[in-house]
Amino acid sequence: MEIIAFGVISFIILLASIGMVASKNMVHSALSLAVAFIGIAALFISLEAEFLAMIQVLIYAGAVVVLMLFAVMLTKRDRESPR
Amino acid sequence: MEYLLSLLVYLSNPWVKGLVGGIGLALAIAGSIVLLLWVERKFIGRLQHRYGPNRVGKFGILQLVVDGIKLLTKEDIIPDAADKTVFKLAPIIGFAIAFLPFLAIPFSETMIVSDLNVGILFILAVSSMAVVPTLMAGWSPNNKYNLLGGMRAAALMISYEVPMGLAIIGVVMLTDSMSMVEIVKAQEKIWFIFPQALGFVVFVVAAFMEAARLPFDLPEAESEIVQGWTTEFSGMKFAMLLFAEYIHSILASLLIVILFLGGWHGPILPAPIWILIKTFIVMLILMWMRATVPRVRIDQLLNVGWKVLIPLAMINIAFTGTARVILG
Repeated sequence: MEIIAFGVISFIILLASIGMVASKNMVHSALSLAVAFIGIAALFISLEAEFLAMIQVLIYAGAVVVLMLFAVMLTKRDRESPR
Repeated sequence: MEYLLSLLVYLSNPWVKGLVGGIGLALAIAGSIVLLLWVERKFIGRLQHRYGPNRVGKFGILQLVVDGIKLLTKEDIIPDAADKTVFKLAPIIGFAIAFLPFLAIPFSETMIVSDLNVGILFILAVSSMAVVPTLMAGWSPNNKYNLLGGMRAAALMISYEVPMGLAIIGVVMLTDSMSMVEIVKAQEKIWFIFPQALGFVVFVVAAFMEAARLPFDLPEAESEIVQGWTTEFSGMKFAMLLFAEYIHSILASLLIVILFLGGWHGPILPAPIWILIKTFIVMLILMWMRATVPRVRIDQLLNVGWKVLIPLAMINIAFTGTARVILG
């Protein structure tokens, strides 16, 4: 049971991390990062470390919000013309 | 009946309990939203010397059903310059995250889906995630009003989350536990509103900010930035964002009741009824505020969050700690 959970969660974390690095769009990167962080929290829960999981979500989710603010404020958005 | 009762044994299985509890909670919340929206429109109508909805059904009680059908059948517009994936994901994620904290809310000593050791932290963590879909909705449609609303929501969240956490610390110090059930049990003799008066004030203001309702509804201030972060959303997507917002106000009033107003404790009536009555009264106060108080400016709000609420919460923590040491 734990092995399956570990496999699925790690797969999601890996996908999200690759997405975060590979994405050209800053906001997409920040969102993938959030998914990766929540995946890590899920890993902590599967290890029965609930406190660590909650702290992970609280602190890193807040960080992602601030990151998104900076991504929105400091980077230019290329306005793709509609087709 | 016997057979139905024998099925209750399966509830000790965490998978079954989670599934049944989750579905039951989602249905109950959806039903209560429909009722509360009607109550709100009627109540605010009376406060403003109007009748409120009174055409569809007796006392206009079916108005919400009709509005729901209207929203369902409206055209679902996706702006051309929008980031389509994020635009489609925002309402779904927002809707889903809004329901999550209720898993750790106790309606009586046993009526709780999951009595986590870190219940109050779980609720704080999940409700802090709720601003991510708001930002997604603000950024994705490529509209300046959406973006302004989303940025304001983020500013609001950063300024209310810290005082809220600090106000909760006082309660946790008195309880010696972060489990929601333990927190309510500790209030059997005296509600925490009395020993934690300062913390209560801070928490109520922070919770009202979290609910993003009228004195603090800066993310969608309709007289300043059209409709704020929901401007470009239409039809069912808009309805989902609206629902998620409303669930946040219900959660805020439930938290006020559980942390400070004695949760399920009360004479005669059974526990879940008491918690519902208290939550309803807090919701009514929320609506009353909406009808009476004008909207604050964004700089005033940030000032209050950082320069008033955080120091007050710190004083509360120091006071609680000292009192605990002196009184044992």
